[in-house]
Amino acid sequence: MDHPGPRQYWTMFVGPYGLYLLVFLVLPFVNVALLSVYIHSPTKIAVAEFTSANYAKLFELYYANLFVRTLRLSVVVTLVCVVLGYPLAYVLARSTSRVMALGLFLLIMPLMVSTVIRVFGWVVILGSEGLVNQALRLAGAAGGARLLYTESAVILGLAQQSMPFMVLPIMAAIERIPPSLEEAAQNLGASWGQMFARTIVPLSMPGLVSGTLLVFSVSMSAFITPALMGGRRVRMVGQQIYEEVLTAYDWPGAASLTIVLVVLMLALVSLALWATGRRARLETARR
Amino acid sequence: MAGSKVKLDVRGLTRRFSPQVTVGPLSFQVMDGEFFSLLGPSGCGKTTTLRCIGGFEILSDGSIELDGQRLDNRPPHRRDVGLVFQNYALFPHLTVFDNIAFGLRLRKVDKVQIGRRVAQMLELVDLPDIAERYPAQLSGGQQQRVAIARSLVLEPSLLLFDEPLSNLDFKLRIQMRYELRDLQRRLGTTAVYVTHDQTEALALSDRIAVLSHGRIEQVGTPSEIYERPATAFVADFIGSSNILTARVCDPGRGAGTLVETQYGLALSIPRVADATGAEVTLLLRPERFRMVADGEGGAAVPNRFTARVRDVTYLGEDLHVRVLVLEKQPLLVSIKNSKGTRAITSGTTIDLAIDPEDVHVLRR
Amino acid sequence: MTGRSPRFLWPFVAVVYVLLLAPLAVVITVSFGSTSTFDFPPKGLSFKWYQAFFASEMFVRSFFRVSQVVGLSTALVATLIGTLSAIGLVRLSFRGRRAIETFFLSPLLVPHILLGAAVYLYLARLAWPTSSSTLLIGHIVIATPYVIRCVTAGLVGMDSRLEEAAMSLGATRLQAFFKVTLPLLRSSLVTGAVFAFIISFSDINLALFLAGANAPSLPVHIFSQIQFEADPSIAAASALQIAIVGGLILLVQRVFRLRLMV
Repeated sequence: MDHPGPRQYWTMFVGPYGLYLLVFLVLPFVNVALLSVYIHSPTKIAVAEFTSANYAKLFELYYANLFVRTLRLSVVVTLVCVVLGYPLAYVLARSTSRVMALGLFLLIMPLMVSTVIRVFGWVVILGSEGLVNQALRLAGAAGGARLLYTESAVILGLAQQSMPFMVLPIMAAIERIPPSLEEAAQNLGASWGQMFARTIVPLSMPGLVSGTLLVFSVSMSAFITPALMGGRRVRMVGQQIYEEVLTAYDWPGAASLTIVLVVLMLALVSLALWATGRRARLETARR
Repeated sequence: MAGSKVKLDVRGLTRRFSPQVTVGPLSFQVMDGEFFSLLGPSGCGKTTTLRCIGGFEILSDGSIELDGQRLDNRPPHRRDVGLVFQNYALFPHLTVFDNIAFGLRLRKVDKVQIGRRVAQMLELVDLPDIAERYPAQLSGGQQQRVAIARSLVLEPSLLLFDEPLSNLDFKLRIQMRYELRDLQRRLGTTAVYVTHDQTEALALSDRIAVLSHGRIEQVGTPSEIYERPATAFVADFIGSSNILTARVCDPGRGAGTLVETQYGLALSIPRVADATGAEVTLLLRPERFRMVADGEGGAAVPNRFTARVRDVTYLGEDLHVRVLVLEKQPLLVSIKNSKGTRAITSGTTIDLAIDPEDVHVLRR
Repeated sequence: MTGRSPRFLWPFVAVVYVLLLAPLAVVITVSFGSTSTFDFPPKGLSFKWYQAFFASEMFVRSFFRVSQVVGLSTALVATLIGTLSAIGLVRLSFRGRRAIETFFLSPLLVPHILLGAAVYLYLARLAWPTSSSTLLIGHIVIATPYVIRCVTAGLVGMDSRLEEAAMSLGATRLQAFFKVTLPLLRSSLVTGAVFAFIISFSDINLALFLAGANAPSLPVHIFSQIQFEADPSIAAASALQIAIVGGLILLVQRVFRLRLMV
């Protein structure tokens, strides 16, 4: 199956995209790293002299609050996705193929539709003239609640956006657990809840780790959802980056924010790989 | 060995999958301390029956009682029944110790007791040193013993086995067979064992239920099943067989009856009640034929006939010889390999005889 | 309903699906409304917002000229280089194969907004103005990994001895590839292409940075409309996108196992 080919073989196949990524993925981020240590000037945008001001600035109150808020919201969204997503992942993993196909379709479809559309839907539902308020008014409550532009709205929107990223890896992990393990646990006296906690959860841990990683990174870098559902009141890092690039033209500032997020993502990925690698080694010792 | 008390009482067990596919109604009783096997080809319903007892299939009809109490209305985690799965179902994320302790911990047994009982179990299944290993680090045979230990440590009233040896290679399977039997005898736990391997069932069981297409064909001890199969299916499934149709010629010839097969072979069989001309189905086991020496007996040897050898299969211990009697009646004969059998080759003729007592009449 | 799940889990499942699908359902319903307020349930049914959509030059241009064109182009290019990459990664052995595979799939983990900002700043440095072409450039980066995953799955699931059998019957490597491997990969290729299209079509974060100022993609135009001039023609535009994406996924689901994708 494997053909150890002469060098030109693999360069021909692997070269194109490799080169493409080098030029349009690696170099842009190298550029960003450079920009992050340039001086920001309102007239020339970036001056090619080194400074650490862009990173120092991030410790100021405004940015510190921004990061804390973004982290906090991301953690909450992740927890919501774990609590709601685990049961769904289990049900899908154990369902018949027709049900699973339908369930997967309904899960993946919202993911593939543009974020703007999903958020637009929420705006219609939660807006001051929206669904929920209309229902409240019908029920007699005066005026209407301000549902949009709150943290809860942003959490709701982000949870909806990220849910499939939590459910799919966990589902895949649970599918690899033979049903006979569940039956064995029950036969040994475990109720469904005990069986779930002692068998399914530990064995689907890699899926949980992947899911958490994905959801967390989606939330940390979210832009559209907090922009349209949180507005000025609920600001996350993504909105800050967008503004600094396209509105304020503080490119070095935007660059430093970007690098911080990239480093954070890399750290999370490494942590996740280490955690799952350790477990995998334990369980496949004999292979 | 087996007590006289009824441990498991299955009455009219029925599991309907669809109008065309139904297992049951099945009824059988397993006595206290008995090793009881459910034997049959794949699809016969033996695993379904086992899973009904274990609680993983719901009965469409019928009842199951354990020690006189209804079992089938309880969820699987509250039945006093241990189940050893075909693929062992060991928890890969737990050590051997934790696997065996799993059920004990759920029952809130204290740590000291758990330690003691797990150690005891590991001694019992002859694996004293592996408590800290993970299932992935064990061989198939070791995994199987841990699976058994895990169920046994809870001292269940009934132990169920779902083809536990089918994943092992041949020699290991034979060895594990003896160990399993010894273990069950030593502990006296009642066991219900599912297998498609008739040799295994014969070797292990006190009694066997032979199943086919969701119904019980026969329940009996291994020798009953083998020597006196009730139906053609059982006769054919267990061991090799020659199944012949014959007509009664002379019902009252001496102590027995004379019949003639469709191809004209005349045989004496033990006395039957059928009248002249009635049709009977006969079972002749290949190993019951014996070769008759040229000078022997004469007319005093009953059921003696000449046969032409079609081919010989050399199996080491035995020779399986396919013969033709009267140029039309095919038979399979099994002869012990010895000096005298070297001359048997395709085309030669040999004299065979079979004791009338060894001709068995099948009634269904 | 489901295979072996306990019944008390079904409320959870229902809640999650309502959460996931409510916004989409609402958007589709509102798009058929007859008033210009976002009434739900709508006060009357009409197609007028769809008519408004097709009458609006900006909507039509963003939909047909930008989103569709860039989407199809992305699908084409991504499928080509993605397939090449997948074949190289699966069939050839060379040092650092695992590392290169991880590198090729890394765009899946990079948040789109960060990538968008990075590429934008990079293009600015190169004095390269944004346009549909720059949008295409960005989309190829994020769409190709999906093709690579699809085709890899297809190759791994395919018996490689089939190619050898063809060669033993006289075919050259190239002929074996075109006559045996490629036809068997057809469903993977189609799936990969469809996903590449969908990724490009639905993208907003990259498009905000990389689409030309005068040539916004459909999602970008919807975004600006939400902020400035909200009327239900947005709902019509959104409903159209939902229909297209949903239809494509349904199609793909018949040929491919969806969950390998995400």
